[in-house]
Amino acid sequence: MEISRRGFLKISGLTFLGLMAKPGWEVVSQIKPIEPAPAPTYFEGKKWAMAIDLRKCWEAKEGCKECINACHRLHNVPSIGYLKEEIKWIWTIDYEKAFPEQLHDFNEEEYKGKSVVVFCNHCDDPPCIRYCPTRATWKREDGIVMMDFHRCIGCRYCMAGCPYGSRSFNWRDPRPFIKKVNLDFPTRTKGVVEKCNFCEERLVQGLLPACVEACKEKALIFGDLNDPGSEIRRALQGRHILQRQPELGTKPKVFYMV
Amino acid sequence: MYDKSKIIPGLLIFLGLVAFPILHNTVSGKAEYIPKTEIPKDKKECIESKAFIRVNHKNLLEDWKASVVRGGLRVYQATNQKKYTMSLNRTCMDCHRDRTKFCDQCHNYMGVTNKCWDCHLYPKELERR
Amino acid sequence: MLNKEQILVDKEIPLLGHVKRTGKGFYITVSILTALVLWGLYAYLTQYRIGLGVTGLSRQIFWGVYITNFVFFIGISHAGTFISAILRVVKAEWRRPISRLSELTTVFILFFGVGSVLIDLGRPDRMLYAIRYAHFRSPLLWDVCSIGTYLTVSSICLYLALIPDIALMRDIGMRKRQWFYEILSLGFTGTERQWYRLERAIMFMSIIVIPIMITVHTVVSYVFAMTIQPMWHSAIFGPYFVAGALFSGIATVITIMVIIRKAYHLEDYLKPIHFYNLGTLLLAMTLLWLYFTLGEYITTIYGNEPSQMAIFWSKITGQYAPLFWLHFVLCFVIPFPILANPKTRTIKGTLMASISINIGMWLERFVIIVPTLTKQRVPIEGAIYIPTWVEWSILLGCLSFFSLLYVLFTKFFPIVPIWEIHEGRGKSIEEVRKRIQRYLPGIDTGDDIK
Repeated sequence: MEISRRGFLKISGLTFLGLMAKPGWEVVSQIKPIEPAPAPTYFEGKKWAMAIDLRKCWEAKEGCKECINACHRLHNVPSIGYLKEEIKWIWTIDYEKAFPEQLHDFNEEEYKGKSVVVFCNHCDDPPCIRYCPTRATWKREDGIVMMDFHRCIGCRYCMAGCPYGSRSFNWRDPRPFIKKVNLDFPTRTKGVVEKCNFCEERLVQGLLPACVEACKEKALIFGDLNDPGSEIRRALQGRHILQRQPELGTKPKVFYMV
Repeated sequence: MYDKSKIIPGLLIFLGLVAFPILHNTVSGKAEYIPKTEIPKDKKECIESKAFIRVNHKNLLEDWKASVVRGGLRVYQATNQKKYTMSLNRTCMDCHRDRTKFCDQCHNYMGVTNKCWDCHLYPKELERR
Repeated sequence: MLNKEQILVDKEIPLLGHVKRTGKGFYITVSILTALVLWGLYAYLTQYRIGLGVTGLSRQIFWGVYITNFVFFIGISHAGTFISAILRVVKAEWRRPISRLSELTTVFILFFGVGSVLIDLGRPDRMLYAIRYAHFRSPLLWDVCSIGTYLTVSSICLYLALIPDIALMRDIGMRKRQWFYEILSLGFTGTERQWYRLERAIMFMSIIVIPIMITVHTVVSYVFAMTIQPMWHSAIFGPYFVAGALFSGIATVITIMVIIRKAYHLEDYLKPIHFYNLGTLLLAMTLLWLYFTLGEYITTIYGNEPSQMAIFWSKITGQYAPLFWLHFVLCFVIPFPILANPKTRTIKGTLMASISINIGMWLERFVIIVPTLTKQRVPIEGAIYIPTWVEWSILLGCLSFFSLLYVLFTKFFPIVPIWEIHEGRGKSIEEVRKRIQRYLPGIDTGDDIK
């Protein structure tokens, strides 16, 4: 079929107009959805951090898991049972493994083999957020490294980026493995990465993170670093403070006081 | 036309097969089925009008998702000037406690699938566990 | 333009044999490959249904066979560009019979490179989020861009070089598929003007695909090098991976050449000299690979940094020592003597070297990825990685699918470019003679290059 250039342009123009009829009508006749009312964010100007008083933590009785149980129960963290597929937002490791850069031949005897509670450090310069191809994890202005389970595609690159191994992946559907479901927090699906979120949903309501509240020895202190009068600022003064692998330049915001 | 004896019966059979679902539904009464959504008895009003919700609930929930997860804002100001928390569970499912009796009625009828329930729980589901 | 008589005169009939005639071997091969592909598909569906837990991956070692496959397949894709583009640019006449089969390897294997990443995703239904919500600071996005560009440009290269042969198929007349060739030939009739345009286009695409090829595997290496994991965070990863890619790519092309030569009776076209030349290039690549590998490990051991040394020792004497030393034997100890000695650089010799290199390079990628994850900065207890049947089945499925697509391609198009051979027989001898005259003193060929 012979068609001139002009004829082709005419037909293309008409086709385009025809295709735009329905979308155009929808735009014109749409009821506009109401925008969420803009409100000042509760976290403006804040810089959240956690301080852990290791001496107080070590005063607890053997095998204390109050903080871990509180967090995992609140956030529907499943207990899979297989070590290779485990998901944990907060757990304990040995002192030697938590602070390998502190190791030498003459470490204090009293620290050997002691448990240190670890979780996501919510670093100020987090390496993990750079690698996410969809920005499903990012650093909020108040310093919390957020996780958007709706957007995560499960590539696990953020897990490769985190030098602390703070992130877990859902290797299968977690729901059958959740002992007691908490309605107030969603479960996750298989195929997404998850980690501690500094109980961001509790901070909105003015509550402290679950682990902080659950600790009987009051070893966990949470607060705003930008507020000079906050409990955490007072606690960090005058004590010897350790961070996990500070030489990496990640500027973690979990401080360990010995 | 060529092969009239083959084409016309063929066309009629084709049209019959294509129209069969419509005819069957009309005759058997299935076409009159309207999904019966169970409205919560004790609650007076939804956060928005029925007309608005019917058309926009998907966009509303997606805006809420973006606002809560990515924006950190959780307070929704409705047209009736009341403030609600932007939460599928705590706001919507607080009244419509069972999705199988409400949400799924229309969604199943229309063949709409959503993945919200893979993560978000609703009150009745918890009671069943 | 070639007409039927010319072909018969030039005795290029063997080149069309595999397109025109379908033997029993073809059906058997296709059946076996299809069965393997379906098995791989079943394995993937199991994984899609249950989750990535069916693999051997764990919280500690979360990247394994799939990412190894990804790097390995993208590595092989460099073969095509090297042989078809680089050899074309340097005007190496011996590339003529092998340019299409290597370019084809590139185009088809890239699908499986990308496919391996998609298979590895936890939520593949959200794979398009990488484009919709693209975060360009992520090396994975750089991968998406560079591999996408590479695939596009390579496909165009393949297609352009295919046009004269499609025109030939159209002119010969292939009863049932005539419409197919007619559309794809784009009306190519072999006039002076058309040849001029086509050759310029091919040369242009061949030149731009070379920097793209180098960026592609560099960017793939940056997926690892840009993290701060010990023994991944190394500047040498860029050139190391490119050299490794050329290395494994040439080896793959040699393997494919041997199979095609035997299966389609192309002994006259894929001559021992081609294998000899490719073997020489492969020898150069072996030494280059050795140089980079040694550089990587010598700098590690000299620096003696604890987190890196933990992984170093696990590779040299520890948990991964068997795989490490196996890969070293396969990548260097076996191929080097075979390729270094001209007498053993025969078809059989290069085939043995290639198979050894292919397996060795897959292991090399594995040994780069997994040991680092086993001993990350914060060691986690009890981490071992044993790939399950799902991962092996998917690897087998990918390789089978690649082979299947390759075999089906040869059913539609001649695998040795007929027009390039024809050009070689006719014009090239004169061209090469003129070229050599330009280099010799005392002869003025009247060129504008003074």
